This record gives sequence, C-alpha cells and structure tokens, in this order.
Amino acid sequence: MATTKVPEVRDITRIERIGAHSHIRGLGLDDALEPRQVSQGLVGQLASRRAAGIILEMIKDGHIAGRAVLIAGQPGTGKTAIAMGIAQSLGPDTPFTALAGSEIFSLEMSKTEALSQAFRKAIGVRIKEETEIIEGEVVEIQIDRPATGTGAKAGKLTLKTTEMETIYDLGNKMIDSLSKEKVQAGDVITIDKATGKISKLGRSFTRARDYDAMGAQTQFVQCPEGELQKRKEVVHTVSLHEIDVINSRTQGFLALFSGDTGEIKSEVREQINAKVCEWREEGKAEIIPGVLFIDEVHVLDIECFSFLNRALESDLSPVVIMATNRGITRIRGTNYTSPHGIPIDLLDRLLIIATSPYTEKETRQILKIRCEEEDVELSEEAHTVLTRIGMETSLRYAIQLISTAGLVCRKRKGTEVQVEDIKRVYSLFLDEARSSQYMKEYQDSFLFNETQTPAMDTS
Amino acid sequence: MDGESQRILEYLTEVEEAAEDVLTTKQQIVDLDSKRNRNREALNALKHEVSDTEKVKVCFGNMFIKFPKVKTTEMIQKDQEQLDKEINDLRKGLKAKVNHLNEIQGKPELRGYHLSPLSTDEIKAINSVLKR
Repeated sequence: MATTKVPEVRDITRIERIGAHSHIRGLGLDDALEPRQVSQGLVGQLASRRAAGIILEMIKDGHIAGRAVLIAGQPGTGKTAIAMGIAQSLGPDTPFTALAGSEIFSLEMSKTEALSQAFRKAIGVRIKEETEIIEGEVVEIQIDRPATGTGAKAGKLTLKTTEMETIYDLGNKMIDSLSKEKVQAGDVITIDKATGKISKLGRSFTRARDYDAMGAQTQFVQCPEGELQKRKEVVHTVSLHEIDVINSRTQGFLALFSGDTGEIKSEVREQINAKVCEWREEGKAEIIPGVLFIDEVHVLDIECFSFLNRALESDLSPVVIMATNRGITRIRGTNYTSPHGIPIDLLDRLLIIATSPYTEKETRQILKIRCEEEDVELSEEAHTVLTRIGMETSLRYAIQLISTAGLVCRKRKGTEVQVEDIKRVYSLFLDEARSSQYMKEYQDSFLFNETQTPAMDTS
Repeated sequence: MDGESQRILEYLTEVEEAAEDVLTTKQQIVDLDSKRNRNREALNALKHEVSDTEKVKVCFGNMFIKFPKVKTTEMIQKDQEQLDKEINDLRKGLKAKVNHLNEIQGKPELRGYHLSPLSTDEIKAINSVLKR
C-alpha cells in the first residue's frame, strides 16, 4: 500500500470531574426503587433520586433511547452527584460519557463535531468473535532438519489435555513459528486454526520442579481440560466513535473517505451506521444506547442546542442527561432569555428533575461522608461548627474546609480536628460572601474598578 | 410444609437434571474430539508411511481385515466429516442447554449470548480497537 499521509483524528479530551464526588457509589435505592435516606454516598434529594432511579431502570432495560433529561437546581444541591450515581449504577457494560459544556469549544474542531463525537462515544456496539483453537500441553516436540541445512524440515508435535493426547505432523511453516516462539516440551500453547498463529500460555504445573531457574515472566498454568480442538467465543463492546476512528484512519474495510481535517467526515459516519444496522439485522451486533452527560449545559450556544434537537431524533441516539444551575437567563448566542438558558423547543423534549437545597441534617451527613472519604477525623463540636458554616455559606465551602482543617490539625500533631482548627482555616480562607464584602469595602484600591473608571471596558 | 418440601425437591431435581445434561454433552464432545484426533493421526500415517498399492490392516471391533489403502482413506474421511458435523450439532445444543440451566437457576442471561459471530475480515478490521 502506498504511504499516504493519514490524518490523526483528534479525540475530545474527557475530564471526569470526579474529585468532589469520589464518594458516590450509586443512587442509593432499594429494590423497589425507593430511595434510602443515606446510602451509597448520596444523602437526601429523595424525590429527584427516585426520578433518576426510574430513568436508570428504563435505560437498563433499553426502553428509552434518544431521550433527554435535565437536572436543574441551585448550585451545590447534588446535580453532578446524581449524574455520577446514575453512571455508577449503570455498570461497566453501558457506555457513559461525561462532558463539561465548555469542553466542546475548541479551535481544532467545530462545536458540532465535538458534540457528535460525544454522542457516538455514548453508543456501544456489542459484537462477538468466534475462533477455533487447538489448546494443549506440549508433551514432545521433534524436528528433523536435513543434514545439508537447507530444504524441507519435518517434525512431529505431541499435544495433550487432561482427557486425551494426540500427534500432529508439522509442516515447514508450523516448524518456523514453533521455533520462533521457542516452544518446548511442557509449555501450554494455543494454535489458532484459521491463521496458524501460535501463542504460549505458560508452562504446565506438572513440569515445575524444585529449584527451577525460570525468568520472572514465566507463568505456570494448569494442563487444559476437555477436548483439544476448542471453540472460543469472545464478546466485545466497542463504541461507535471507535469504529469511526479506525475507518477514517485506515484504508479498506468499508470503502473509505479520509479527509484532511481532524474531523470525521459525515460520509464515514453514514457508512458505519449502515454497516452497523446491517450487522444488527444479521444478528451479528447488538446496539447498547448509553448515557451522555453534559454538565453546565447553559454554556452551549444556540447552534449547539439546535444540533442537539436534531441529534436526539436520530435512531442511533443515547440518553442525554444535562445539568444546569441557571434560572431564567439569556440563551448563549442570542438576545432571548429562556428558563435554564435552554431554548423552549429543546426544553419541551426534556424530562426535568429538580434538586432542592439540603437541610441542616443532610448537610451534616454529607460532611460526615466527605470526612471519611478524605480521611479526616472530626470532633463532635467541630462537626457542628462545620455544619453551621455549610448552612450559612455554602456546602462546597464547608467541604473545602475539611481537608484544609485536616492539614492544620496534622501540623499541630493532633489526631482529631477541633473547633480551633476550623476557626483557623475559616479566618485564612474567605467564603464567597465575605470575599464580596471585602470587595465592597476596598473596591477603590483595586485595578480596573468599574465605578471608578467607567471608560475602561475590558471585554 | 410437606407440599413445600416436595416443591423444593422437584425444583432441585430439575436443576440437577439440567446440569447433568450439560455435563454429559460436554463429555460427549470430548469423546468425539478424541476420536476425531485418532482418525486424523490414521489419515496422516496412511498418507506418509504406506504406498498407494499396498493393502492395510484395519481393525473392526476385534478383528483385523486387510483393506485397500484408497478405500480405507475414503472411509475414514467420511467418518471424519460425520464427526465434525456431530460435534457442531452438540455445541449448538450445549448453548441452549447452558442457557436453560442459567434460566432455571435464576441467573441472568449471558451478555451477547445469542449473537452470531462476525466474519474473520470484519474482526480483522475492528482488531485495532479490540486489542487495546
């Protein structure tokens, strides 16, 4: 094949903002989908968790695809936590793609390309590979080389399993690949029947002796059981995006078009769609609609929203979960305002789950869970003080104080965080309200102050 | 209470029967494969070690019969085809039996169990994704 310059397809980088939500293991629902007050790292938000649970069940059963869900609520009310919970309970088999709204803005790729890639990453295709292999332990290997050094070699290979033993006559090619793999008596090997590829699985246990001098990479395995000639079936799950990528890189397979931008041509995508649908009809593939989670969805602009509208209608579409903390605000790229900063026509297609602020008791619980997660011991009084701080300022601020207070406590060689440690970090780090207060007091001494120099417009 | 234990007993019998069925089929495949390998050895031996005109001694039950080589080869080859077919059928049946066993034990169905495999060309094309 001629060496053509193959363009690298750039993937959008996926950043999981897991740090703040590393304690979440699931949605914390019982078998009847009733939410438990505190479970799997989630606290409170019973109504929204139950709603998320119903959606989760529908996703698992494959009943819904191409739908969208919006999780809306004030900042710090557990929107991302619920989405993480859904991701954790879906299990490893259902594709889950998380994306922060701002990730789609890039100079290398158009917004819609980034969005389509994210969409296609969230769709899995399950396929099966079937191979006939010969698997056994080498009992004896005998190779006759002609005295002249050249010419045809002949040989015999004896393989056994726990049930049977047999002799194979070896041709020239097999002898070459056997000596290349350095197969000896006592090795357990597999031979792929279709390609003749030999792979070593390890050495048989029965051949292990005391004081064997072996390399560290030598593995000991049991002698295989059952028949020698086996059929192996392997099920793989790949995402549509991965299939897109190979086909925009390589030639062959499905008659390709490779462009010279870092984007995947829509022709390639259409071909892949057609091929996958063909596979599905032949029973060769199953399509698993996964979940695409777009955090901070209000930073998308009107073009993205109209793309979303259309993409949701496609028959290969995942379940899209969006989260936003905005109220009625301007839609990006327009002068119109709309609830959640999302156009009404898209909003109409969404199932909306609302989250509500945490109560004092719930805040206390969350702080306790985070303390365990961050390995910080908290005294009873300090816990009460921190809960008050969490109620009066914000939950995020209180959570941030946990690890900083933990550090202060360790510095004075204490084992348990006391009220003094909390007080110290509270005086060191300002919360949002105190910071704005400070601004108001000292605004005159800051640069580019709007009240002072209205002529300076930085935007 | 008696009816209850009766029902449990019936259920357990059903499970045991299904499991036994799976095991027998597996053993049958092993036996057939061992026969297949012995036939293959015989074919190889006939090809390399005996000249075409010579007659060979073939063992039928407890009797050795002299037979022309070509005929013997033909006979074994036919047997071989028959064996291949039988093993294939047993494997197909085994899948259904394992599925049935899983079902009555209340285990979830295996993922992708009913898929038909991709062809070698298709697998080759996707391989770069699979072998990560």
